[in-house]
Amino acid sequence: MAEIRTVRVMESLLKANDYVAQRLRQAWNQSRTFVVHLMSAPGAGKTTLLEATLPALMDRYRVGVLEGDIETERDAERIRALGIEAVQVTTGGTCHLEAPMVEQAWRLMPNDLDFLFIENVGNLVCPASFDLGEHLRVVLLSVPEGDDKPAKYPKAFRTAQVLVITKADLLEGTDFSVERARREALEIQPGLQVFVVSAKTGLGISPWTQFLEERRRQTFPNA
Amino acid sequence: MHELSIVQALVDTVEAIVRQHGAQRVVRLVVEVGEMSNVIPMYLQNAFRAFREVKPFLAEAELEVRFVPLRLRCKSCGFEFQPQGYRYRCVECSSPHVQVVQGEELLLRDVELEV
Repeated sequence: MAEIRTVRVMESLLKANDYVAQRLRQAWNQSRTFVVHLMSAPGAGKTTLLEATLPALMDRYRVGVLEGDIETERDAERIRALGIEAVQVTTGGTCHLEAPMVEQAWRLMPNDLDFLFIENVGNLVCPASFDLGEHLRVVLLSVPEGDDKPAKYPKAFRTAQVLVITKADLLEGTDFSVERARREALEIQPGLQVFVVSAKTGLGISPWTQFLEERRRQTFPNA
Repeated sequence: MHELSIVQALVDTVEAIVRQHGAQRVVRLVVEVGEMSNVIPMYLQNAFRAFREVKPFLAEAELEVRFVPLRLRCKSCGFEFQPQGYRYRCVECSSPHVQVVQGEELLLRDVELEV
């Protein structure tokens, strides 16, 4: 005689990712590797920002970069051209990085880095839902994209700790209002640190890199 | 977003439970989907229907999706509320410091088996 049995499971379906992300976070806390996760729409300037940021850090810190893309090694090659170790994850189709992919790539990197930058696949939607174990999540919004984007992509801005408005050298040619974008982003995530930069002209890069160093110092006070 | 791969994860978990209990088949699944989980219940149902055709132990299973609306609690005054749009300010005291009470989950709650 068949019996109906109800099994109470109460298990998160995103558990697998979070479990690996936590494991990564613990490993990075142990190795004192400060991990910065960059996300944005395609072409907002993540790689270009790294090209402007890393030279300021690499003379005093051991830096590595993990690049995520659907195809090509283009971004990793740009980083390697600076003399910095970069591992490229090509997802082949998945539109975002997930913790298990990051863990796999991490195994190919030196385990004594001071900074690890993870550049996610260009996408303002899905990456927001996947913890990669990072210490700092940075969302980029470029001037040509428009200042009305935060409310259209709330999760990307809500889950970040930093907003970098990029391509500030183009402000004159557009209707982009830094104040409007900042205000809207802060309504979604009041804790956001906001930077306005131009990797091209160097505007705002110094405060941004100093902020990264300061955050690392705060996270690893005895490092 | 990615309802198909979420259902894949769901099916894998359920398959393990079926084996663990030596069940004949799955009668019902209860899943809680939070408003901020980026998952659409209707798409979840569609994806689940696809898996029902390829997994015998799911052939007659019903998927119940319980939608959990977003609920916030103000850290300044303790007021609990459902936010409108993307503005998360406290409706009582306008403080921007709020925490999520519910609405972010993507949870497999119950599995009903015929053993």
